Amino acid sequence: MLRLYVVVALSFSLPVVASPRQGKQTYAFCAVCHGERGEGNHTVGAPQIAGMEEWYVREQLLKFQQGVRGTHPEDIAGMRMRPMARYLQNTAQIEAVSAYVAALPTLKSTSTLKGSWVKGEVHYKLCIACHGADGKGNSQLKAPALVGRSDWYLLTQMRNYKAGVRGNDPKRDPVGMTMRPITMTLDEQAMIDVVAYISGLR
Amino acid sequence: MTEQNFWQKYIFSTDHKIIGMQYMFTGMIMALIGGYFAYTFRMQLAFPGTEVFGFGTVSPHEYNSLVTNHGTIMIFWVAMPVLLATFGNFLIPLMIGCDDMVFPRLNRLSYQVFLLSAIVLVASFFVAGGGFGGAWTAYPPLSAQAKYNMTQYGATLWLIAVALEFVAFLLGGINFITTLMNSRAKGMKMYDIPIVLWMIVLASILFMASVGPLIAGAIMLLFDQTLGTGFFDPAQGGDPILWQHLFWFFGHPEVYVVLLPAMGIVAEIITVFSRKKLFAYKTVLYTAFATGVLSFFVWAHHQFIAGIDPRMANVFAVTTLLISIPIAEMLFVYIATLYGGSIRLTAAMLFALSFLAAFLIGGVTGIFLGASGADIYFHDTYFVVAHFHYTFFPIAILAVFAGLYYWFPKMFGRHMSETLGKIHFWGTFIPFNLIFLPLFFLGAAGQHRRIYSYELFSELNSADFQNLRVLATVALIVMLIFQLPFLYNFFASMLRGKVATANPWQANTLEWAAPSPPPHGNFATLPEVYRPPYEYSVPGRESDFWPQHEKPSGESKA
Amino acid sequence: MDLIIEQASSFAADIDMVILLIAVLAGFWFFLAEAVLFYFIFKFRQRKGVKAQYITGTRKEEKKWLHWPHNLIIVCDLVIIFFAIKVWYDIKQDLPPAQEVVQVIGRQWSWQFVHPGLDKQLGTADDVATVDELRVKVGVTYHFKLESRDVLHSFSVPVFRLKQDAVPGRVFTGWFTPTKTGTYDIQCAEMCGMGHGLMQGRLVIEDEAAHDEWLRNKAT
Repeated sequence: MLRLYVVVALSFSLPVVASPRQGKQTYAFCAVCHGERGEGNHTVGAPQIAGMEEWYVREQLLKFQQGVRGTHPEDIAGMRMRPMARYLQNTAQIEAVSAYVAALPTLKSTSTLKGSWVKGEVHYKLCIACHGADGKGNSQLKAPALVGRSDWYLLTQMRNYKAGVRGNDPKRDPVGMTMRPITMTLDEQAMIDVVAYISGLR
Repeated sequence: MTEQNFWQKYIFSTDHKIIGMQYMFTGMIMALIGGYFAYTFRMQLAFPGTEVFGFGTVSPHEYNSLVTNHGTIMIFWVAMPVLLATFGNFLIPLMIGCDDMVFPRLNRLSYQVFLLSAIVLVASFFVAGGGFGGAWTAYPPLSAQAKYNMTQYGATLWLIAVALEFVAFLLGGINFITTLMNSRAKGMKMYDIPIVLWMIVLASILFMASVGPLIAGAIMLLFDQTLGTGFFDPAQGGDPILWQHLFWFFGHPEVYVVLLPAMGIVAEIITVFSRKKLFAYKTVLYTAFATGVLSFFVWAHHQFIAGIDPRMANVFAVTTLLISIPIAEMLFVYIATLYGGSIRLTAAMLFALSFLAAFLIGGVTGIFLGASGADIYFHDTYFVVAHFHYTFFPIAILAVFAGLYYWFPKMFGRHMSETLGKIHFWGTFIPFNLIFLPLFFLGAAGQHRRIYSYELFSELNSADFQNLRVLATVALIVMLIFQLPFLYNFFASMLRGKVATANPWQANTLEWAAPSPPPHGNFATLPEVYRPPYEYSVPGRESDFWPQHEKPSGESKA
Repeated sequence: MDLIIEQASSFAADIDMVILLIAVLAGFWFFLAEAVLFYFIFKFRQRKGVKAQYITGTRKEEKKWLHWPHNLIIVCDLVIIFFAIKVWYDIKQDLPPAQEVVQVIGRQWSWQFVHPGLDKQLGTADDVATVDELRVKVGVTYHFKLESRDVLHSFSVPVFRLKQDAVPGRVFTGWFTPTKTGTYDIQCAEMCGMGHGLMQGRLVIEDEAAHDEWLRNKAT
């Protein structure tokens, strides 16, 4: 009899197809930090995710789950994200929530950094090849869009790449690895300037 | 007396009976909320990730909030108002034979503050970020900083609600103590006071003596939350462990604050329904005193592994095991009272006896946790959860039901249905054991508390363990369903039950000298007391009870 | 206890012994009390024409029914206290000398472990840091240095029967000696926020050769 309950319950918890309803439901987990509209929350280190590309959300969730991202001791926010991603237990949930996040309208985020737009434009030349002159990204090259992301988040991630906190695993994260040499050429101020330039892109 | 309108009579009343009932109904509503929370998180544990009927999917954040507020509600907004305030308010003036509390307006204020605290708590579930989820013990730094707990408003409202609740019970406690000491009927000496009143007043004294440090702590925590002070923040020179001391210095006596009134209620009921004098009245009283005093010296057994000086644990292990002695003795007294009795298994008596049977389990399992060496393993496992539910459930549910079935005729002047009462009893007691016995086993297997889902833990994710979790959840649902006959019985009997006489159970204590229900002012003429409260089956008398207020006939002087 | 959950540390059996001792002593009183309770309820149920007895419980021959259990319980309590404190002393107060030291850091919501490298010294260049995975050698006595970076956590290893809270701003030292190889759960036992229920770590106990092999792989 008890087993019957378990079976019934499991059949509820493992739907095969991803549905928009499931996306919304699963997103409730994310909303605690990332906000109902995906606007993010700087205090807890949660970036804006509204309007992130579907493929990028999915890939990052998988990286968190597999311990490719969010396992470096210095990556404090990433280490908070990792157990959350692990709780998404099947691909259907990941698909559904990625689609849901991608469909959320991107919100204008407030700027938290003061950098030079002009100097940033010079440094941004390094990024154009993959992320595009408009910062919209290139899914073929697995380069996500940069516009619409929280500026403090972009800065943190560049620091992380530079320090080898993110993208340090050539086997499991070759794409992240490509970011490393590029960030190596930028000092702290240059990174802030680049972020200022990206924030100005529309 | 002038005629009162509805508002004066029921909402802004200063009548101790109405205030007692206000506490009772508020407590019942809060119990329904607490029960609903328990149902929701038990469903999540048994069927992780599914949509819970009546709630939706439970996220880890919501899960923490449900667990936290279930605990907070059941202790502060169910056990305390029902055991202390309802029975204290209703019974104290009636059982000592006076017309009302000494401070009726203070009494009304106490309920109003309490109601406000309940509203603030319920409001905290609906603010941005949701209700507080840092466990009912609210250990900082988690509870102190929004960046850790993610419930900026929920945490603050929760803390304010708890602090207000303390204020309400401080006001009520002053009233209880003063009334018992000053307003007793003529002839009622110290040892003529019914045990339940002693227990309620002792509990009030314990509460008032222990809550001070925690109120101070709550203010400090409130400042940490809202003003960014660092009382409990090590980065600013504070100490997170300090909160634990303040909390448990109150938190452990709090257990006895609710236990003693429950013990008192049970004492009244088993004497009446076994027609026996209470075995060694003074022993009960002294053990209650001893328990009360000892309860101030055991608090750190909640913190054995919290990072206190390990030598301190040795002291607290000794005091903790010593407190088992008065409690065990009190239970022995109650069992001894049954010897040679003539036991009537009414619904009230069934609940009272089940209290003894169940509380014994809670008592002996506590020894595992008080023994410091064993606690290293059991601390924060489901063994603890099962243990304190085996103490709190008999206290806050079984004893309360016993009291309600027993005093219902006095409260409302009508009888509850005994048949429905017995259905309710078995439908509560059997599922209760089926909920918590599996949890002892799971706890012994190393399952920790407040865990959202055990699917990630390979040792705990076996099918057998999951079956036990399902068993506990199904039993909980059955038990909740069996509360429906009670609710029907309660409200239907209030309107249509068999009319009760002044003393339907043939009991001795003074509340049965008043009409059922007692009018405002309680007694037509204030009674006088001639003998102790438990003179049942006195040899040489025709009837097997001898009310305290009955004038001795002729020769013998009481 | 070892039927329910394995013993994998040198002191697990000691703790289980205390638990068994309490189970026997407390269980005796528990079953005795319940048996008497139910016997009384049955024996003295209401019967027609039988009046209850009048017993005050104040006479000496009546009170002995309280005094003897009272004294016996004190004896039982003293026995339990003795063994509980002895085990407590061995585990928490009297640390045996360490052969190796590992660092354990709790943070929302993961465990970070710093293992000494092949030189067996913590704090040198070849230390190996991992997240959510602790690897130790069987039969080696470890000290752990427990820290927290944010809120309270509790480092709990059920198979070791070991538990210690981590408090920000403090470093606690404890010890363990693994006694059998295998892979076990590490749980967080103190509410630490939203991810508390997902804060799971793994403990891998392996023999020296396998452990050194793992260290060498990490070093490259």
